[in-house]
Amino acid sequence: MNKIDIACIIDDDPIFIFGAKRMMELANFCESFMIFKNGKEALNNLKSLIKTGENIPDVILLDINMPVMDGWEFLDEFIKIESQKPITIFIVSSSIDPTDQDKVKKYQNVSNFIVKPISIETLKSISAKVLNP
Amino acid sequence: MQVTPTNDNTLFLLNFIQQQASIGTWEYHVEEEALQWSDETKRIHELSLDYEPEIASGISFYKEGYSRETIKKLFADCLEHNKNFDEELEIVTAKGSEKWVRAIGMAVMEDGKCIKVQGLFQDIDEKTKNIKALAFKEEQLSKTFENAVVGMAILDLNGQWIEFNKSLCHIFGYKKEELQRISYLDITHPEDLKYDYQAMAKMMKGTKHNYEAEKRFIGKNGNAIWALLSMSIIRDDDGKPQHFVAQINDLTHMKIHRDEVNQLLETTENQNKRLLNFAHIVSHNLRSHYSNLDMLLDLVKIDYPDNTKNDIFPHIEEAVSHLGETVENLNEVASINIKNAIMLEPINLLGNLNKVIKGMSALILDSKTIVVKDIEQHLRVMAIPAYLDSILLNFLTNAIKYKKPGKPAHIHFHTEITEDHIILHISDQGLGIDLEKHGKKLFGMYKTFHNHKDSRGLGLFITKNQVEALGGKIEVTSQLGTGTTFSIYLKKHE
Repeated sequence: MNKIDIACIIDDDPIFIFGAKRMMELANFCESFMIFKNGKEALNNLKSLIKTGENIPDVILLDINMPVMDGWEFLDEFIKIESQKPITIFIVSSSIDPTDQDKVKKYQNVSNFIVKPISIETLKSISAKVLNP
Repeated sequence: MQVTPTNDNTLFLLNFIQQQASIGTWEYHVEEEALQWSDETKRIHELSLDYEPEIASGISFYKEGYSRETIKKLFADCLEHNKNFDEELEIVTAKGSEKWVRAIGMAVMEDGKCIKVQGLFQDIDEKTKNIKALAFKEEQLSKTFENAVVGMAILDLNGQWIEFNKSLCHIFGYKKEELQRISYLDITHPEDLKYDYQAMAKMMKGTKHNYEAEKRFIGKNGNAIWALLSMSIIRDDDGKPQHFVAQINDLTHMKIHRDEVNQLLETTENQNKRLLNFAHIVSHNLRSHYSNLDMLLDLVKIDYPDNTKNDIFPHIEEAVSHLGETVENLNEVASINIKNAIMLEPINLLGNLNKVIKGMSALILDSKTIVVKDIEQHLRVMAIPAYLDSILLNFLTNAIKYKKPGKPAHIHFHTEITEDHIILHISDQGLGIDLEKHGKKLFGMYKTFHNHKDSRGLGLFITKNQVEALGGKIEVTSQLGTGTTFSIYLKKHE
């Protein structure tokens, strides 16, 4: 596998989603993506996908500050779900608050904390991590 | 009647009694003009027992002035008018000490004529002095009581006034007569009354010795008055409760001040919270807009490269990049100020400086900068590693940035050790700063002193905040054209 199959973006910011999608296309990051506007929406949909075992994303780019259910709340729920397929999670946030960066260390499933803006280079390093863990 | 001893035993007994009671006797025979003193009388005068008194010398022992004039008059009255006397007077003894005595005289008549005056002479010095001292103490105490700044009262066991002072009247706004008409319990706030009752009952039972409470009273105008009450119980020798002593401190003003302080504290806390929120807004919201802008510019460059080939696009790019820096700096400032408990750790100063220099070796090589490090190998300071890095980096880059044109920068580090601090002096031979002109705002936010292309004016502000967060301070000396020395006080590791 030299390309990520499905990438999932969980973010409430339409500009970021627009940009991130385009960046992913340019970086030849993945075959398809899946987008959710907050943690709740993502959790509900991912739960049922994991249950059926179809279209499970390989990687999740998760924002922290979101309405309804934020990134931390999503993580707390998501780690309880058992998935057949490994899912790599990256926190992608504009926060440069060190407490956020410390907090992420508590979650084993989270591979990295990426500070926005993302660039083609960032995406390339993400895909390298996902494809060759 | 003459004291004529019938035998030796009686005489002995009489002397003994006189001595024990400090009472002497005396008699004066009118016809013979002879004065006789008993041994004890002589002893009271501190005379030897073979002293032979005369009327004039006897009187001369009385203290000049009131005592001597009084005894003269009393003695004359007794002789001439048969008037007995009993008076407390002062004498000056043969040894010069002043003593209070009780002098009693009685005329003995025969055929309507005074033939003899006889009397008693008692040493009452100790008793009189004690009484006088006691009276003095009592007066002192009552003056203290009356003029005390705190309200004071003595209450009987039913809470009725026995006595109270001026301050007490003043606190509650009553005149003395008005307050006398009501009781202590009448001026206690009804809601606090039961606590007083309980405490007073316990004190009477003996389970409590005193009672202190911040409680409300009612002033004459009906307003509640907050006061600190301290009450204790006085018992007699048998332990039977006699009365209560109460001290009442008006807390109204203190309470008002305290409320004001609390109000201020609350306001400050709110402001602080808002500042934290503000810091968060800066950190997140502003930054997310910046990062979007930055990302979109990247996309424009890739997707619409033609749109970047104009005069405006590079300016937009620069503006966005400055926005990003500003947000980052603001965030740094905010995060320094909101850190509450800062954990300092011992860091080797020289090692850390070497690490920072290594990190910027490209810049140092490029600019041919000379760095001299006079720092002892073992010196350790208490700091947060990230802060110390940032502080050193800032001074290094500043020194390079503000070097003299055409000459490489020369930076000299050396240390000075005081009781609590390691002072790191960083001297450059650069442009220098006109401290008279700029000294006050040197460490202010967004102040730059050089029209230098890289001057952002935030570095020193952040550095100062970081040094202060580490419990240190920065001092600066500088001369235009000669260079600048920054002295950084860092906490010494013990």
